[in-house]
Amino acid sequence: MSVPAAMLQVEGINTYRGPAQILRGVSLRVGAAEAVCLVGRNGAGKTTTIDSIMGLLSVRGGTITFKGEDVTRLPAHRRARMGIGYAPEDTGIFPDLTVAENFQVSEWLSRAETSAAAAEERTFGIFPEVKTFLGRRGLHLSGGQKKMVAIARAMTLSPSILLLDEPLEGLAPLVVTRFIDAVKRIKALGISILIAESSVVNATRVADRLYAIDRGEIIYAGDPRTVFDNEEVMKTIRG
Amino acid sequence: MDFLLIHLLNSLLFASVLFLTAGGLSLIYGVMRIVNLAHGNLYAFGAYVTAWAIGGVLAGAPTPLLYLLLPAGAVAAALLGAALEPTLLRPFYKRAEEYQLLVTFGLLMILEDLMRLLWGPYPLSASALWENSGSVTISGNPYPNYNLVVIAIGLVAAVFLWAFVYKTKFGVVLRATSQDMRMASALGIDVNRVYVQAFTLGCFMAGLGGAMIVPRDSAVLGMGVDALVLAFIVVVIGGLGSLEGALAGALIVGVVRELGITFFAEIELAVLYLIAVLVLLARPAGLFGRP
Repeated sequence: MSVPAAMLQVEGINTYRGPAQILRGVSLRVGAAEAVCLVGRNGAGKTTTIDSIMGLLSVRGGTITFKGEDVTRLPAHRRARMGIGYAPEDTGIFPDLTVAENFQVSEWLSRAETSAAAAEERTFGIFPEVKTFLGRRGLHLSGGQKKMVAIARAMTLSPSILLLDEPLEGLAPLVVTRFIDAVKRIKALGISILIAESSVVNATRVADRLYAIDRGEIIYAGDPRTVFDNEEVMKTIRG
Repeated sequence: MDFLLIHLLNSLLFASVLFLTAGGLSLIYGVMRIVNLAHGNLYAFGAYVTAWAIGGVLAGAPTPLLYLLLPAGAVAAALLGAALEPTLLRPFYKRAEEYQLLVTFGLLMILEDLMRLLWGPYPLSASALWENSGSVTISGNPYPNYNLVVIAIGLVAAVFLWAFVYKTKFGVVLRATSQDMRMASALGIDVNRVYVQAFTLGCFMAGLGGAMIVPRDSAVLGMGVDALVLAFIVVVIGGLGSLEGALAGALIVGVVRELGITFFAEIELAVLYLIAVLVLLARPAGLFGRP
C-alpha cells in the first residue's frame, strides 16, 4: 500500500535561534485534511517548528515540502500565498487595525475567481460572531476574540493547511470545546491542520495523529489514543 | 488683525514644508524602524533638482510650465530613495540600530558631496517662479502669492496622505507591516516591497518639501542638515512614527518659528529645543506617539 501524498512533509530540520540550536532533526508529516497535533512542554520547540514551517525562521538543514514543492528556502509571504495559513500563539492581531482591516491585509491577495460571498463564508463561516465586532480595534479585543480573529484571518487566503500555535491556551473550558468544534469544521472543509498544543488531553480531542516533541526532538509519533499507554513519553510531555 | 493674518500665513508656510519633511521621516520610521539621518539631504536633493530645472535648464519659460516642473525634485528624490533602499539599507535591517545610523549618516555625507559635485558650492536659485507669481495685498503690504501656493500644496499633501494611509488597501498593508512585520509576511505581504514603497514615499515627501521651498529660499549646501534638525524637533514633539504627530508638531514648530523670527530671533532654536525637551519630559513618546 502506498502512503497517501502528504500536504506537508518536514524532513530532519535543524533550526537555531541566535547561536542556540532549538530543533534537532525534526521530521513530521501532515496529510490532506488531516489534523495533527504537536505536543510538548513550554520550550520544547513547538513554536520554533511552526515558525520554521511558516518561513519566519530559516532552517540550517533538512527540507520542508508543501504540496509536493520544496519550500525550504521560500520567504514567508510566498508560503502564505501558496496556502499555508498561520495563527501564532500571541495571535498576532494588529493592535491599531480594526478587525475588518485585519482581514483586509491579505484580502487584496486572495484570488479573483472566488466570489465575495465565498470569501465571506470562508472568513466568517467558522466563527460567525466575529462579524459583530468588525469595527473594533485589535487592541480592544478579549483574549478569546483575538484567538477567533486569528483563525478567521488565517482563513482569508483560502489555505490548504493551517498552522495553529496554542489555539486553546488561556481559553475557558467551555470556549475550548467551541474551538475544538471549530477545528473539526475546518477539517471538514478539507483543510489540513497542524496544532501546537501543550495539553495532551486537548490534543487527543482533536488530533488524527500526534507527535510529541521534547528538547527539539520528536520523541513520539502515532495514534493519539495510545500515547497514554506510553509512560515514558507521558512523563516527559507532562513534566 | 491683518498683521496677525500675515503671521498666521507665514506659520502655515513653515508648517507645510515641515510637515512634508518630518512626515516622510516619521513614515519611514513608522514602517521600517529606521531613523534616516540622510532624510534632510533628500529634501535638499529635491530642492537642487527643482532649482536646476526651473532656474537653470528652463529659465525664462512661462510660469505655468515652471509650476509643472515644481514636482521634478520630488520625483527625483523618490527615484533616488527607490534605488537606495534595496541596495544600501536592506543589508542592515538585521544588524543593530547603530549600524543603520552609521549607514544613513554616511549616506548624508555622500549626498552632500554629490550635490556639491553636481551643482557646485554656490546657491542655486529658482526665484523666477516666486517673482512671477505676483502678490496680494494684505493691509497695505504685499504678500507673495507663491507662499499661498506652498500652503495649499502642504494642505493637499496632508489630506492625500491621510486618505492614502487610512482609506486605501495599501494603507492597511502599510500600517499592518509597521505594527507587526513578521505577521504581515505570514499573511502573504512581501515586506521588502512594502519597505521600498514606504521609503520611496517618504523620500518623495522630503523632495516635495525641498522643491516647494526652493523658489522662495534657493538651494544651498547644508540646507539638508538644517531641515533634518527641524524635522527631528517636529517628530520629537509629535511622536516618531505618527503622521498626526508630524502634522501637530509641524504646526507647533511653524508657529514658534514665525514668532521667533519676529520677537526673539536670537533664541528661536533654543526655544524650539526647550519645547521638545518639555514634551519629552511630559510625554516621552511625543504628543501622538505610542509609548
